Amino acid sequence: MMVLLAILLTGIGTYALRAVFVVTLSRQQFPVLALRALEYVAPAVMGALVISMLTSSEGQVALGMAEFTGLAAAAWVAARTRNHIYALIAALGAYWLVGYLGF
Amino acid sequence: MGPIRRGIADSLPLFIPAIPFTLVFGIVVRDAGVAAWLGWSSSPIIFGGAAQITLLTLLGEGASVVAASTAALIVGARHLLYSVTLAPRFQHQPAWFRWVGSYMLIDQVFALTAVDREEDPKVFRHYYLAAGTTFWCLWMTFTALGIVLGPKIPSQWQLSFAAPALFMGLLAVTIDRWQKAAVAISAMTFTWLLADMPNRSGLLMGALLAIGLGIILERLRR
Repeated sequence: MMVLLAILLTGIGTYALRAVFVVTLSRQQFPVLALRALEYVAPAVMGALVISMLTSSEGQVALGMAEFTGLAAAAWVAARTRNHIYALIAALGAYWLVGYLGF
Repeated sequence: MGPIRRGIADSLPLFIPAIPFTLVFGIVVRDAGVAAWLGWSSSPIIFGGAAQITLLTLLGEGASVVAASTAALIVGARHLLYSVTLAPRFQHQPAWFRWVGSYMLIDQVFALTAVDREEDPKVFRHYYLAAGTTFWCLWMTFTALGIVLGPKIPSQWQLSFAAPALFMGLLAVTIDRWQKAAVAISAMTFTWLLADMPNRSGLLMGALLAIGLGIILERLRR
């Protein structure tokens, strides 16, 4: 039930984010600082999420050599190619390789 | 080509980059221990890959409903920018389309309408609905496939690492100046330091602190 509630809340919230200006046809301008802040939301939240996804339910961050190498490979390939699919493949490849070598 | 066929044809190649998302989504649903139908229900209810993956990952890791939903909504905050940007083009549209169109305002539809500067309201509406409906059908089908196929992947492949790896790639793609890299790295550091806060609230605290740092850097830049 809690999962369904969370999905519904996120669904309603996501719809509201998309609809607020389209439905109201508001011509209100965002303050410049708010627009600038919005640009930093993606890197901040994604960065926080990456660490959170590696955290166990007991609050331990599992960032060993294999994970670190995988993430570094993802960042490097994404920065070079601007393609998140290549980044994903490189990250998994590096992660498996380092894990296989047993570091 | 008419706007409907053009909307469908333009959407198909853009869906290919979303396919890894659907597999990662399937793995996340399995790892979260959530029933398949319940995990899939987030596809029609939320209709946003990054928000769905965020929400189910965090719920699976024991986050509270409020913490997980808030994090997923912050991930989706960019939709506010899409809404502002597209609002003028909905000026001469019927009310029903403004309500339906909002539901379909996903990354890819926004990208397509930003490229296709169609001014005629009726042509714009047909193009938008065709593209949105195409993505909707593909997303519903492929997330269902992801949930079915995800658990079939042997656990020795350790595909649980795919979710953080995918987000790391998406993160690096958005970085176009050093200030953003500094914000991303500080968000990771803050979140790490706050990892044992209850209900995953360290994630939100870490992200908010880093956004604060971004605003300071932005002020210094100008």
